[in-house]
Amino acid sequence: MNTIQTVCPYCGCGCGLYLHVEAGRIEGTSPSKLHPVNGGSLCVKGWNAHEFVSHPDRLKFPMIREDGRLRRASWDEALDLVARKLSGIKTSYGPDSIGILSSAKCTNEENYLMMKFTRAVLGTNNIDHCARLCHSSTVGGLAAAFGSGAMTNSINEIPEAKVLFVIGSNTTEQHPMIGKHMLEAVDRGAVLIVADPRRTQIAEFAHIHIRHKCGTDVALLMGIMNVIVNEGLVDVDFVRRRTENFDAFEEILRRFPPDVVEGITGVKAHDVRRVARIYSMEKRSMLFYAMGITQHITGIDNVRACADLVMLTGHIGLPMSGLNPLRGQNNVQGACDMGALPNVFTGYQPVSDSKTRTKFERAWRRKLPGGPGLTVMEMTDSAYEGRLKGMYIMGENPLLSDPDLSHVREAMKRLEFLVVQDIFPTETAEYADVVLPASSFAEKDGTFTNTERRVQLLRKAIPPVYESRPDWEILGDLMTRMGYRMNYRGAYEIMEEIALLTPSYGGIHHHRLQEGFGLQWPCPDGNHPGTPYLHRRKFARGLGTFIPIDFVPPDEPPDREFPLLLTTGRISFHYHTGTMCRRTMVLDREEPECYLEMNPLDADRLGLKHRSMVKVTSRRGSIKVRLYVTPRIPEGSVFIPFHFKEAAANILTNPAVDPNAKIPEYKVCAVRVEPLHAPREVEKPPVVDLEDLRIT
Amino acid sequence: MRTASGKRTKAENIYLPVSGRIEEIRKKTEDVSLFRVSTASPLRYTPGQFFMVSVWGAGEVPISTASLCEDDLFVEFCVRKAGTVTGAIHSLQEGDRLWLRGPYGNGFAVGRRANGDVLLVAGGIGIAPLRPIIQMFAKDGSAGSVTLLYGSKGPQDVVFMDEVQVWRSGGIDVILTVDRANCDWRGSAGLVTDLWHRARVDFSRATAYICGPEIMIKSVMRDLSLFGMPDERIITTLEAHMKCGVGKCGHCYSGPKYICTDGPVFSYKEIKEYSLLG
Amino acid sequence: MKSEWVLSKDHLSYWLRQLRNERELIGPLRDGGKDILFRTVDMLHEIVLECPSSLPSPKGFLFPQYEAMFSCRGLSLSDGSDGKREISDLRDRTRRVIFGVRSCDVSAVRLLDAFCLGKLRDPYYEERRRNTFLISLVCNNPDPTCFCLGLGTGPYLEEGFDIQMTDLGDRYFVQAGSPEAVRTVRAMNFFFRKPRKVDYEDQYEVFLSSKARFRKRINLEGPRQAILSGKVGDDFWQEVTDRCFECGGCSYSCPVCTCFTVTDRINPEGIERARLWDSCMFKGFTRMAGGVLPNEKRVQRTKRWYYHKLVHYPRTTGKFGCVGCGRCAVACPGKIDMARTATKIKGLALKEEVE
Repeated sequence: MNTIQTVCPYCGCGCGLYLHVEAGRIEGTSPSKLHPVNGGSLCVKGWNAHEFVSHPDRLKFPMIREDGRLRRASWDEALDLVARKLSGIKTSYGPDSIGILSSAKCTNEENYLMMKFTRAVLGTNNIDHCARLCHSSTVGGLAAAFGSGAMTNSINEIPEAKVLFVIGSNTTEQHPMIGKHMLEAVDRGAVLIVADPRRTQIAEFAHIHIRHKCGTDVALLMGIMNVIVNEGLVDVDFVRRRTENFDAFEEILRRFPPDVVEGITGVKAHDVRRVARIYSMEKRSMLFYAMGITQHITGIDNVRACADLVMLTGHIGLPMSGLNPLRGQNNVQGACDMGALPNVFTGYQPVSDSKTRTKFERAWRRKLPGGPGLTVMEMTDSAYEGRLKGMYIMGENPLLSDPDLSHVREAMKRLEFLVVQDIFPTETAEYADVVLPASSFAEKDGTFTNTERRVQLLRKAIPPVYESRPDWEILGDLMTRMGYRMNYRGAYEIMEEIALLTPSYGGIHHHRLQEGFGLQWPCPDGNHPGTPYLHRRKFARGLGTFIPIDFVPPDEPPDREFPLLLTTGRISFHYHTGTMCRRTMVLDREEPECYLEMNPLDADRLGLKHRSMVKVTSRRGSIKVRLYVTPRIPEGSVFIPFHFKEAAANILTNPAVDPNAKIPEYKVCAVRVEPLHAPREVEKPPVVDLEDLRIT
Repeated sequence: MRTASGKRTKAENIYLPVSGRIEEIRKKTEDVSLFRVSTASPLRYTPGQFFMVSVWGAGEVPISTASLCEDDLFVEFCVRKAGTVTGAIHSLQEGDRLWLRGPYGNGFAVGRRANGDVLLVAGGIGIAPLRPIIQMFAKDGSAGSVTLLYGSKGPQDVVFMDEVQVWRSGGIDVILTVDRANCDWRGSAGLVTDLWHRARVDFSRATAYICGPEIMIKSVMRDLSLFGMPDERIITTLEAHMKCGVGKCGHCYSGPKYICTDGPVFSYKEIKEYSLLG
Repeated sequence: MKSEWVLSKDHLSYWLRQLRNERELIGPLRDGGKDILFRTVDMLHEIVLECPSSLPSPKGFLFPQYEAMFSCRGLSLSDGSDGKREISDLRDRTRRVIFGVRSCDVSAVRLLDAFCLGKLRDPYYEERRRNTFLISLVCNNPDPTCFCLGLGTGPYLEEGFDIQMTDLGDRYFVQAGSPEAVRTVRAMNFFFRKPRKVDYEDQYEVFLSSKARFRKRINLEGPRQAILSGKVGDDFWQEVTDRCFECGGCSYSCPVCTCFTVTDRINPEGIERARLWDSCMFKGFTRMAGGVLPNEKRVQRTKRWYYHKLVHYPRTTGKFGCVGCGRCAVACPGKIDMARTATKIKGLALKEEVE
């Protein structure tokens, strides 16, 4: 039996785990006891991370669509077809008629290669990935405020913190190992403030639980900052020396006194004041947020408000003091770092900057496009309108993860050519012209970057199953076939190239990651030990900028026709579109079906029974789910997890996006809930007795 | 076990099922069918015991025997389509193979000539494990009176409706009830617990055999105990999620007892003592 | 039977090399991140002799997290009456010797033996157990979470081991507790010598000092009595449960937990029936046909876990279903574990007595 140290493939925590390999087969998983993130624990997904690897549903060989059906093909045949088709589209319609979706589930090396493929080989900037749908507002918002969009602190600093302010994050379920550290901090006497409309598990431990209305985060945060300014709790020194544009910001802040905020958010003015005082008075204050902040049409504003709050109080640039976006996917941080985004190269170097472009052009020996490309949602729209002709989707499943699925489905149908590269057959693969089988996390080498910027080594435990190949190999092969020779000997060579072109990854090489638990970027040179917390002494962009923001209500508030506010999210046993976890015995058994959480008061009013089947309808479609009546959700709101393809919550969600970040508003849309079966007439018991039937 | 023992007996595998042939499938209600299965080697089982029944590729489930073991040649299972495995069983046809291991469990200790009256209370598919007892009393008669109180959801859901006449002519007082009646229904409507007055049974001397949904079992046992039936004569068979049937997988562990090996048949006395029902 | 020898430390690797000729040698090794894990020993010098407790326990060698039980070829889901059928029993027959097992884990294996090899013998466990030979070391390096001392399951054992070795500085005191162990030692008797008086004295000394290293002293009898006397109410269990993340880590990491589930996989090369670790801490663990969840509330499941180990185990076997290895304390993200819960129960009982 051998044990292979690797990284969990589920969430952004990036827990260290060992795969137990016996005779070429993964037999088990165990947590790393000394790992700084998980320290001997794992969540239920992590403990079962090995199981889907050998699942019989794995894509086994390349497939090509012929006469409407997918048939088995050889790698040569499939890749030649992809190369021919993509080249054809590029010549006939121009490079910008091809769109690429990279993947936050793939390694840094693979994302880098995908980015290189898009820009150098295809000659377009149309590359994006699912970060658009979870944290594009963070990347945009924090880049503007600080110059870099990532968690500023490390996870193992959390237990030492004195105040934890968690907003829009169901931490114990979605980032369980961060939740573990938070509980530890609370045990050690930290004050925990949770702002979430739902009563989540972490809220049970909160000293203050704020249940503001969905989509009013800006107002809440502005209210808190208003109190901080009015009560003189501002870190004047910090604001004066390290930030700019405070005056313009203060101007707009005056519009948010606590009583006005109470009107908008439903949070008592008294509580707003309490939070302001508690948060600002303690230096070791960490602010955490997740999708509850980002997935709104005001996503960027929400993020900016958080950034403003930490600058106002000077809670940044120190250990145990900072702003911490909790990233969703295991490598969503890495995929962003690697420039799988339409506007930046690796390390957030803008494509519009001619100096940067020249650097990459010289390294890659190709002319590179300078205008920003299309985002995920824009690609869908563009395909729908027929401007985008071809798409290459690696390890993503837009047909379950994007909002307004009917629209996405139609867009996929209209594509001339669609390539899907994945480990399991997905909903999206049903529309693919070519399906390429990729290797799972256990079958390849590479690196993942977790939410705290820790770049960790992923190690190959078993050879690729069936005919599957690691994504980087597939991409390298394809690029060669398209006339751009690639001959990396291993993922480590790709990492060397990344280090060469990316200042923040400058000192990150595979050999440095072999021992221990990875390096946290920025790590500019080969001797740099990594950076546990960001913005020490100086922000990445120099001075931090206060950005004035105003409150904008959600795009689709409940009305008479659709009276309930739907918010979506995840549950602890499942992960995103369920491709991996729903193929894990224990996980699928725990939550085999989709459900809708509803407050008992609403359920009573609508005459709906716990566990009955209901129909949920929004302006875009309807799904059938089981009703789960619980006071965890406030009156007037309902919650649906989006993992289930049988009842995809994203059929309902609103595709309205943040104007800058282009992140869709998953967290708020208006729905109507009806009983699925009309309540049956109560039939009267018959008066006839069966005395005549009885034999006594 | 010490690793030492030199002799290497080739231990048999308690998890290995044997193949059986589906001789007959009788559809009983919308989602319940009766499968008659024969195996190469003779079967010996008692009422209340169960088999682990499997379809390769779908999995295994515990299913109690619905027939009286008379000539060792076959066993009948009454299966309701409720999940993956039972769904797979329902997709099989006569002549197909079904895989079995067992019988497991303690079974009902039913004397052919019970002292006093016998009361059988069944709810829904819960009639299946009681069917062999009914058949036994219908065939051999009993010292006292035998009453069956059988509740179903609706008139279409009465499993073994076709056998009720046979049971009645065997001297069993069959009282049927449904939750939701329609105009064709000539039996009673309501819960089984509303029909105690109809059972012509001397509760203090009777023995009760109960099977059905947990909530029904609980209220029936409580009522009978109140009527003065001794707790050790109120006997039920419990249902539980099981993966092995042999006391290893842990799923059916309840209180200190394994339902598969210590049960599935328990008296009210044991149920209370070990708090087997919540 | 008790047979005792002395092995010079210089001879240890020779002896292990000899053992490895016949069996796969498993030992505690450091992996990339300095974590201790039991795996196949490649280089003998890499075995860590004084190490903290491994996570997971060596349970996986006798009861792996995923274990194929049968493979079945020539069968489809809806299986016609004819067609070739071939069911093969996939019992693992690898002969293994696990070196450096802790006493608590040996005690856990004894509990597993009692459970799996009772009236109905689990063939997979039996086969692996028969082929596995444990060499335990008297524990001189307890973790802060360890509490075997109060349970009599460590740091050294009086009986029940295959081979127990005590580190006497320059040599090991070797005790063989099973006929096979005696045979194994005798077969290589040129490495061993008979113990002298000084060896016995030194061994006693080590026993005493190893006991002194424990920080936690927890007795489970008090909590058991408290539970039996009804002093531990549901509100206590609710408080414990509030911190549960439903990760199953307590059961996965426990060397005594053996709950499993079975799954069938239809692979291209045939159907595989496999069993995998499961935990009673999941609500779906007891889901009945039709979707009823008898243990839907988390508190019911927490109670079940503790009752099984603290109340039902002693009732049926006379021993606690816990060996004090402290792994649940490491694995639980919510910091719920046997030692902490036992301490809390004791506090609760004391408070009641005072009142």
